[in-house]
Amino acid sequence: MSTKTDVWQGTLALMILKTLEALGPNHGYGIARRIEQTSGNRLLVNYGTLYPALLKLEQEGYIASEWGVSDNNRRAKFYRLTRAGRKQVERATHEWEETTAILARFLAPDEAS
Amino acid sequence: MRSLRAWLLRIRATLSRSAPDDAHEELTSHLQLHIDDHVRAGLTPDAARRQALLALGGMAATTDAYHDRRGLPPLESGLRDARHAMRILRKNPAFALSAIVILGLGIGANSAMFSIFNAVVLRPLPFAEPARIMRVWQVPPPQLFPGRRIFAVSPANYLDWRAQTDVFDHTAIYGFRRVSLTWQVDPEALLAAAVSSDFFNVLRVTPLAGRTLGPGDDEPGHAHVVMLGERLWRTHFGSDPGIVGQPITLNDEPFTVVGIIPQRQALPDNAQLWIPLVWTPQDRAVRSNHTYLVIARLTPGVEVQRAQVELTTISQRLAQHYPADDQGWGAVVLPLQEDLVGAVRPMLVLLLGVVGLVALIACANLANLLLARTLGRAKEIAVRTALGATRGRILQQLLTESLLLGVGAALVGLLIGQLALTGLVHSIAQYLPRAAEISVDSHVLAFTFALAVATALLAGAAPAWRLTRTNPNDALKQGLGRTGSPSGEHWVRRAFVVTEVAFALMLLVGAGLLLRTLSHLRAVDPGFDPRNLLTMTVELPASRYARPAQQVRFFDEALRRIRTIPGVESAAGIDSLPLDRLDGGSNLPVAIDGRPVRPLSEQPVVAARVITPGYLRTVQMKLVTGRDVAVSDVLDRPAVALVSQSMARQLWPNDSPMGKRLRIGLISNVPREVVGIVNDVKLASLDVHDVEATVYLPLAQVPTPFLSLVVRATDNPPERLTPAVIQSIRGLDPGQPVRNVLTMDDVIGGSLERQRFAMRLVTTFAGLALALAAVGIYSVLSYTVSQRVREIGIRLALGASTRDVLQLVMLDGLKPTFLGMGIGLLGAWALGGALNRFLFGVRAHDLMTLSAVSLIALAVSVIATFTPALRATRVEPSLALRSE
Repeated sequence: MSTKTDVWQGTLALMILKTLEALGPNHGYGIARRIEQTSGNRLLVNYGTLYPALLKLEQEGYIASEWGVSDNNRRAKFYRLTRAGRKQVERATHEWEETTAILARFLAPDEAS
Repeated sequence: MRSLRAWLLRIRATLSRSAPDDAHEELTSHLQLHIDDHVRAGLTPDAARRQALLALGGMAATTDAYHDRRGLPPLESGLRDARHAMRILRKNPAFALSAIVILGLGIGANSAMFSIFNAVVLRPLPFAEPARIMRVWQVPPPQLFPGRRIFAVSPANYLDWRAQTDVFDHTAIYGFRRVSLTWQVDPEALLAAAVSSDFFNVLRVTPLAGRTLGPGDDEPGHAHVVMLGERLWRTHFGSDPGIVGQPITLNDEPFTVVGIIPQRQALPDNAQLWIPLVWTPQDRAVRSNHTYLVIARLTPGVEVQRAQVELTTISQRLAQHYPADDQGWGAVVLPLQEDLVGAVRPMLVLLLGVVGLVALIACANLANLLLARTLGRAKEIAVRTALGATRGRILQQLLTESLLLGVGAALVGLLIGQLALTGLVHSIAQYLPRAAEISVDSHVLAFTFALAVATALLAGAAPAWRLTRTNPNDALKQGLGRTGSPSGEHWVRRAFVVTEVAFALMLLVGAGLLLRTLSHLRAVDPGFDPRNLLTMTVELPASRYARPAQQVRFFDEALRRIRTIPGVESAAGIDSLPLDRLDGGSNLPVAIDGRPVRPLSEQPVVAARVITPGYLRTVQMKLVTGRDVAVSDVLDRPAVALVSQSMARQLWPNDSPMGKRLRIGLISNVPREVVGIVNDVKLASLDVHDVEATVYLPLAQVPTPFLSLVVRATDNPPERLTPAVIQSIRGLDPGQPVRNVLTMDDVIGGSLERQRFAMRLVTTFAGLALALAAVGIYSVLSYTVSQRVREIGIRLALGASTRDVLQLVMLDGLKPTFLGMGIGLLGAWALGGALNRFLFGVRAHDLMTLSAVSLIALAVSVIATFTPALRATRVEPSLALRSE
C-alpha cells in the first residue's frame, strides 16, 4: 500500500472522463475501481474525493447521471459522457500530451538539445 | 463558460434548500457495491463494511465534502446569518424600524440630491455622441463689457465662421421668437426657437413622432412648418400623435406640425415650439447685433482645442476685415454640457457636500442605537463564543445585521428621496438646467444602495468590534447588565453625540447664512418701488401691427383705457422689465456728439430701455434733474433721452449731460438730446454692486412691437386688477395675447430663485440634521439614565431634590452637546470660505448668524435632554435599590 501514489489534483477529472469514454456509462464505484486497475494498481483513489469530482464534472456539463441497476442487481447512480464531455476528453488529452512531451524534453538526457 | 455554469448551479443549489439531494443514497450504494466485492473476496460482512468505510474516508466527512461542492459554503453561511439577523430584527421591531427610518432619512436626502446631481452634471447630454456637441460664443471686448466673458452671436459672423472652417461637421444658429398660438380658445403667447436648417443635424434629436426640421424647411415659401415640444403637445394637443401633419395657427398664419420633440431633448429647454429660422439678405448681413446662439458638432477626430484655435484665427481675420463691427471681438468654443451646467455645478457640489453631512449624522445615530443594544447582546455573544464561534464568524454575523438595516434604509431612502423629488422637480425646472432629465437610473440605485450599506456597516463596525472583545467569562457571570457598561463604551457614545451636534451646527450655520443672504437681497433697494405693481407683457404680431405708428397707437390707447379702471393709480410701459430673469433687455453702443468719432465696436455700451410717458411716476423712480419724457416727444419732434446717474458719471465725469446730444448705435443715427437725469435701477440682478449705466428713450420715438405694461394699484393686492386690465386690452383687439401676468414682487422673487433653491435645500437638510442630532442626544441620555437608576435612587434616598436630579441629568446630557457646538462653530468658521461665493451682504464669519444658530441648537438640545431628565426624577428610590 505504501508504494501507491495518491491521485494528483486535476488529473482525476481527466481519468474519470477517459474511463467513461472507454467503458461507457458506469457508477462511481466502478469508475474508481477501473482507474485503480488501469494504473496497474499503482494509484490509490480516495473514494471520498471521487464524488465531489463527479459532481463538479456534472455541474460543468461534461457528464450526466441517472439512477440504474448494476450488474449484480444493486441500485446505483450511473454516469455517462455528454457531447461536451467528449470534446473535453479530446482537448484535455491533447493538452496532457503537450505537457508530457515538453516535460520529457527536460527530463531526457542532454543529446536532445 | 463551463465554470460559470457550475457556479450558477451551485448558487441555485444553495438558494433552493428544497432541491433534491441524493448524496446519501449514492454513497450508500457505493458502500454496498464495495462490500459486495469484499464479501466475494472472502471477507466477513463486518470486516468488509469496515474496509469499505475506510476506503471511502468516512461517511460523514464524504457527505460534507459532497455538500460543499454542491453548494457555495460562503454563500450558505451568509444566508444563514441573514436569516438569523432577520429573526433578531423581527423580534425587536421598534429598534429595527427606528434604525431603518433614521438611516433612511439621511439616505433619502442624499439619494434625492444625487439624483439631481447625476441628471444635471454627471449624465452625458441625451443626444448621440454628446461629447462632440459644442457651444460657440462670441467674446466681447473687455473695455465695452467689463466682466462679461461670453456674448451672443451676430448673423454675419456666424455665416463667416461656418464658411471658413471644417472643424465642425454641422453648425447651427438659433434665436427666440414670440409667437401667438390660436388653438381652441384665447390666443396664447408662446416661446419658439427659430432654428437654422442644420440644427437637428447638430443635436440628432429622435422625434417622438414625425420628423425633425431640416434642410429645405428654411426656404421662404416652405417655412410654415413647426415642431411641437413634448410638454406643449401634452398640455394643448392631448398627446395625440395624429397632430403631425395637421395645420395649427401661429401669428394668424397656418403652420404644419411635422414632428414632436421629446422634453429631455428639448434645447433650448424653455422653448415650446421649434420653427425654421428664415433670414432675408438684410438679416444675413447684420454683423454688429449679437442676438443669436450657436451650436456645432465637432468633425470626428477634431479636438476642442483645435476648434478653439481655428475660431480665434477666424475672429482675428474678421476683425481686420470689419474693424467697425468686429474690432476686439473673439470667439470661444465650449462643450455644450459644460456650457449648460457649468454655472450650477458649484452650487450642486456644495449641496452634495452638505447632504453628505446629514448621512454622517444619521450614521452616528445608528451607531448609537446599535451600541445601546450591545450590552443586551453581550450574553448571547458570550454563549456563542463559548460554543466555539470564532471572532470573525461573530463579526460577520453582527455586520450582517447592519447590512440588512442598510438595505432596508436604502429602500426607505429611495422612497423618501423620490417622493421629495417629485415635489421638487416642477419648481426647480425654471432655474436648473436639464431638470426634465431627473430620474432614477442605475447610477442613482447604485449610489443609494452603496451609501446605505456603507453607512450601515460603518455604524455597525464599532459596536460589533466591542462585542467581539467582550470576555465571555465576565459576560456570562454578569446578571442582566444592570451593573453598567464599560467606561470606554460610554466615551464612544458621547463621541457620537459630539459629532452629530458638530455637523448639525455646521449645517445650521450654512442655512442661517443663506437665509440672511436672501433677506439682504430682498432688502436691496432696486431703485424703484415694486409694491402694488402689476406687470404683463404684450407683443403685437407683425401680421396686424406691421407699421411702427400702429404699434405706438395700440399701446397709447391700451394704457389710456387701463388708467380709467377703478383702483388703477397709474399705468405705463417699458420694453424690458428690470430684474426680469427671462428677459435681459438690450445693451447698445452710444456715441456722444462733439467727441472724436469712434467705430461702433469701440463705443461704450449702455443698457437701453424704451419707456412711455408716466413710467417714472408709475414705478416711482426719481427724476434728479430735468424733465420726464412727455406725450409731446413724438417721432417728428426732436429726439430726447433720459440718462441714469451712473451713466452721467461714466460718460460726463466732468460736466453735466443735460442738453448734450448722443446717438444710440443700431437704432438710428439721429442725435438725441439729454433732457433729464434719473436715479439708478438694478436691471440684471439685485446682487450686483455696480449698477448698469442706462439710457431711457420714449416709445413714440423708438417704436417696438412688444412692451411690458406696469400698472400701479391704489392698494393691495395688485392682482385684483388682472381681469379688468386684460379686459381692456381684449376690448381693443380680441385676438391679442397677454403673457406673464405677474406682480413686480414676483418678478423680483424670480430673480432670486436660484438663491432661494439653495437656501431651501440647505435649510431642509439642516433641519433634518438637527432633528437627528436631537434624537441622538435623547437616546443616549435615556440610556444613561436607565443605567444610573440605582445611583439616582440612592441620591434621592439620601435627600436629593427633584431639582438636583434634573440638573444632574441634564448637565450630563448637555456636556457633549456643548463640546459638539464648540467643534461645530470652529468647523463652520474654518469652512465658511467655501460659502462666500454664495453669500451677499453677510460674511461667512457673521457673529449674529453664529450666535443665533447656536441658540437654536442649544434650545433643541435642552428639549431633547429634558424628557430623560424628568424620567430620572420619577425614579422610586425603594424600587431602584431593590431591583438588583
